[in-house]
Amino acid sequence: MNDILLTILAAIVTTIMAFTVGMLYGGIVRKLTARVQNRVGPPIYQNFIDLMKLEFKTTNIHHGLMSHLGPVWIITAAVSVLMFIPIVHGGMLLPGFSIENLTFKGDLIFLIYMMTFGSLGMALGAGETGNPNSAIGVTRGLSLMTGFEIPFVLALVALMIQYQTTSITGFMQIQEETGTWMMFSNPFAFIAALMASLGMFRYSPFDIVGAPAEIASGPASEFGGKYLGMMMSGGSIFAFIKLVLYVDVFMGGAHSIPELLLKTFVLYMVPVFYGWINPRYRTEQAIRWFYKWPLIFGVIGVIWAIY
Amino acid sequence: MIEANDKETQGVVDYIKNFIRKHSIFMLAYGTGCGAIELPATLTSRYDAERLGIRGAATPRQADVLLITGYLSTKTLKRVIRVYEQMQDPKYVIGFGSCTINGGMYFDSYNTINSLAQYIPVDIYINGCMPRPEAILAGFEELQKKIQKGEADNGTKYQENIEWYRANQKKIIKNWRMPDYNW
Amino acid sequence: MNVIVLILTILFAGAALSFFAKKITPQASSVVSFVAILSATLLFFLSGKPDAVNFNLGSFDLEWQLSDFGYIFAVIVLVLATLISLYSISYMKGMPHLGYFNSNFMLSVASMMGIVLSSDFISLFIFWEIMTWSSYLLVIYKGRQETSKIGIKYIIFSAVGAYAMLTAIVLINARVGTTNISEAIELGALGAENILIPILLLIGFSVKAATMPLHVWAPGAYSESPMSFTALFSGALSKMGVLGISIVFSALMLDVEFVLSAIVLQQIIMWLGGITAVVATLYALIQQDAKRLLAYSSVGQLGYITIGLASGTKLGVMAGLFMAVMHAAIKAVLFMAVGAVERQVGTTDMTKISGLIKKMPYTFFATLVAIIALAGVPPVGGFVGKWMLYESLITSNSYFLVVLIFFSSTAAFLYSYRILFGLFLGQEEDNVKNVKEAPITMVAPMVVLSIFLIVAGTFPGIVFEPLASGMAYLGYVDVNWNMSVLQNVWGNEVHLESISTIIGIVFVLAVVFITLKGYKKTRQVSTKDISTSGEIPWEHENMNYQQDFFKPFERAFSGMYKGDMGKFWVELGCALGSLANFVRKIYTGNGQTYAIYVVSFLALLLLILNK
Repeated sequence: MNDILLTILAAIVTTIMAFTVGMLYGGIVRKLTARVQNRVGPPIYQNFIDLMKLEFKTTNIHHGLMSHLGPVWIITAAVSVLMFIPIVHGGMLLPGFSIENLTFKGDLIFLIYMMTFGSLGMALGAGETGNPNSAIGVTRGLSLMTGFEIPFVLALVALMIQYQTTSITGFMQIQEETGTWMMFSNPFAFIAALMASLGMFRYSPFDIVGAPAEIASGPASEFGGKYLGMMMSGGSIFAFIKLVLYVDVFMGGAHSIPELLLKTFVLYMVPVFYGWINPRYRTEQAIRWFYKWPLIFGVIGVIWAIY
Repeated sequence: MIEANDKETQGVVDYIKNFIRKHSIFMLAYGTGCGAIELPATLTSRYDAERLGIRGAATPRQADVLLITGYLSTKTLKRVIRVYEQMQDPKYVIGFGSCTINGGMYFDSYNTINSLAQYIPVDIYINGCMPRPEAILAGFEELQKKIQKGEADNGTKYQENIEWYRANQKKIIKNWRMPDYNW
Repeated sequence: MNVIVLILTILFAGAALSFFAKKITPQASSVVSFVAILSATLLFFLSGKPDAVNFNLGSFDLEWQLSDFGYIFAVIVLVLATLISLYSISYMKGMPHLGYFNSNFMLSVASMMGIVLSSDFISLFIFWEIMTWSSYLLVIYKGRQETSKIGIKYIIFSAVGAYAMLTAIVLINARVGTTNISEAIELGALGAENILIPILLLIGFSVKAATMPLHVWAPGAYSESPMSFTALFSGALSKMGVLGISIVFSALMLDVEFVLSAIVLQQIIMWLGGITAVVATLYALIQQDAKRLLAYSSVGQLGYITIGLASGTKLGVMAGLFMAVMHAAIKAVLFMAVGAVERQVGTTDMTKISGLIKKMPYTFFATLVAIIALAGVPPVGGFVGKWMLYESLITSNSYFLVVLIFFSSTAAFLYSYRILFGLFLGQEEDNVKNVKEAPITMVAPMVVLSIFLIVAGTFPGIVFEPLASGMAYLGYVDVNWNMSVLQNVWGNEVHLESISTIIGIVFVLAVVFITLKGYKKTRQVSTKDISTSGEIPWEHENMNYQQDFFKPFERAFSGMYKGDMGKFWVELGCALGSLANFVRKIYTGNGQTYAIYVVSFLALLLLILNK
């Protein structure tokens, strides 16, 4: 009984932490972007305020069951994936407060597929609204996914065959034992995965899905109030998940929360910086971009891993 | 009336809600007239409205405030009403420039409306032709004060007085073909 | 009477009866075929393991027996046939030539059971031909101009496959003197020393499994036959090819020590499977017609299955067989759903229909589950197969193949979404205003199968159990399986039960939260009430985004859409034709020319002998 309670507590704490960190990172990015543009910018907690404002909207509309459930799919996928990803080594969230989530019960292939669960569900919700912009946004997003998944998977496959395991905890253990981060033991795979992450975080030049000026924020265009709020929080958790996944697999995981924050933040700045200096691609350009250097680096990474 | 909604008499929850609302305003700039050109200046580096929590929204579903930037022709009025009705409560309207107040330089035009408040409830007017970005920010500040006081509930007023508004709207829009606004 | 004989008798007699039953009323013929299949199914499940049947045909010993391996496919065939014939009663109502349809339907079911039950090559071949011909007659059921072209394509490829198979059988008989499958395997007739036999058999079986480059007939044939047969065609009939391929590969891989030719053949088939998956997926996602989309998708999915079977590892074969079972259910549901839409709306062109979700909610539910399974997203059954396939390939050194099929399964999301959006989501247009849900007899089979898919996602053990014993029959020893835990050879695990539990809990909590929060002030609006920059669309204005759905993707991959396998075969055919023309120049039919041939041949002979 105690175990179950502790697991539930762990789940809640992890979710809240992921949510907070994800939202905070979003706020920091807004602030930094503003500073780069020589503006004062909103406070870094602005995203929390926006979210609460959305939740405090008194009326809400939806277009039917699937669009009512659309944000639910996202949050389900986000929280479920979070349960299967090790946040820090040994579940030590705080000193002296150790909790286990369910990391040993899933592996990388499962995670990759589970992460698409949310987008597919969201696509259904966006599709039911009947707004043509939503459908266009969804097709763009799915097409973009065929682009960045391939270098990402090449990188992961390279690591899997290099270390003969597919579980994330396995990867973390190996890096702990050998003392080398994967990003150094297989740099080409890391570069390929890093380039894939540019598409995964959807900052420009890959912000083709929710392009506000072209397709009125795409899949989200018919969602407001509590629905948009739920989508925002799901998206924030997902951002955190992707960062933690990269840190776990390539950067040796983290032993404490500050270390995790440092590593994830450094990693997060890569797509953000790249986004500041780039305009938006068209969809086919974005897809083709991934089939040039990222793909080549991925293939080199796999060959590196074999020999 | 002002006392009833004062900070002391508001419940704690309402106070927090209004505080949050006032610091996060998603605006839908309905660029009907020449005033729309002032908005890029307001949002970008020099005046930076985002530091007050004001940012653009792409669609009426996500927006909190509707900006009517300048004169409103009878043809666009229908679209404005439609957009306003698609927004979710609580929602605010800012009339922007003299044209929305009394018709401005188009006051005797056959093709523009003179007073926006006849057709949709307006929270704040920003006076001027054109209002400078400073004036726009001042207008938003007024709106924030109004939100904090809990007075910015024109969405419900619109619902209550729908007959009056509809009658006025139908006077202007001859080929009335609007979906019913069902709450 | 023996149970096997009884089942086959019921099915074949049902075929004849349903043909004559249409004399009473056309509907009676459908009912007769349903009752016959149902009774055969009940008999099969209630009677336990049947004894073998032996008899002689000329100088050949024929044997019918239900092996552990055949059991998997027997279950697929019978369960699908039962559900689909139930569906077919309503689907075919009011259509012409019901007796013709039903008797051929029954014949193909009966011949599939025959294939599953036969344990020698001769009866396998006989049933195979019955299956080909009955399915051919159903492909040309609509009797239109294009239909007959598609039918000819199908029958030509099937004939090539049948000849290849017949040649292989003759070769086997010449080599080891028996036509019994398991004896032949034991004697090494299918082994790697004589690589021609496995290749010929594979050609024969691959035609039905529609593997590249023999898939050309499939999209047309799948989409032209009546949907209630296509569900069986793609669901069960293509699995007969899978059955054959897995037998050939298990014989090839387990028989003797690995030889180069066997490994080369294995690699070729695996890559062909991978290329099938990619190319078919790319073609699927540019289709406008739901039927054609599903047909291409079916070809692509069989590519995965082929890879799994050809990989030869335990996990890979298990993955292939598991995906075969899943694919049978998925494609049966999807083709039935598309058939239901076709019947209720009158078309399956996705540019013409949309927004059926509120009109046909149960069909939508079944389609949704099947699509989630098809895309391989947890926690539904398709994921299990995909996972095992990837892990088996990664752990057995097929790295680039993994990436290839990963690409194809990511691209499969696109067409999965396309079919859901195209049929069920989007604007409710005028032409679907009066559409109603399909009758219960059509909806129930879909829902039953989709529930099976959900259950198999959490407890795949119910499928693993027969698969494991079937694989034991094929010669794979110590096949591990767990009720709800997946495991690869490196010892990494996926616990499906806890995954489903967590997904379920979070989902329910989120649903409760989003529904209850501001419940009174949340309202549903019509799909016409969308933000369109304030513009109010007229009734006749089509606000649907359906045309050129994945145009950006097409542009990005424009190079991939240039080739066409059909053209290759047409050109090959032309080349063969000109070869035949050349041969015909020799055989002029003129007696004098022949006389010259004879004389000159004799002269040549004399010249040579005199030296």
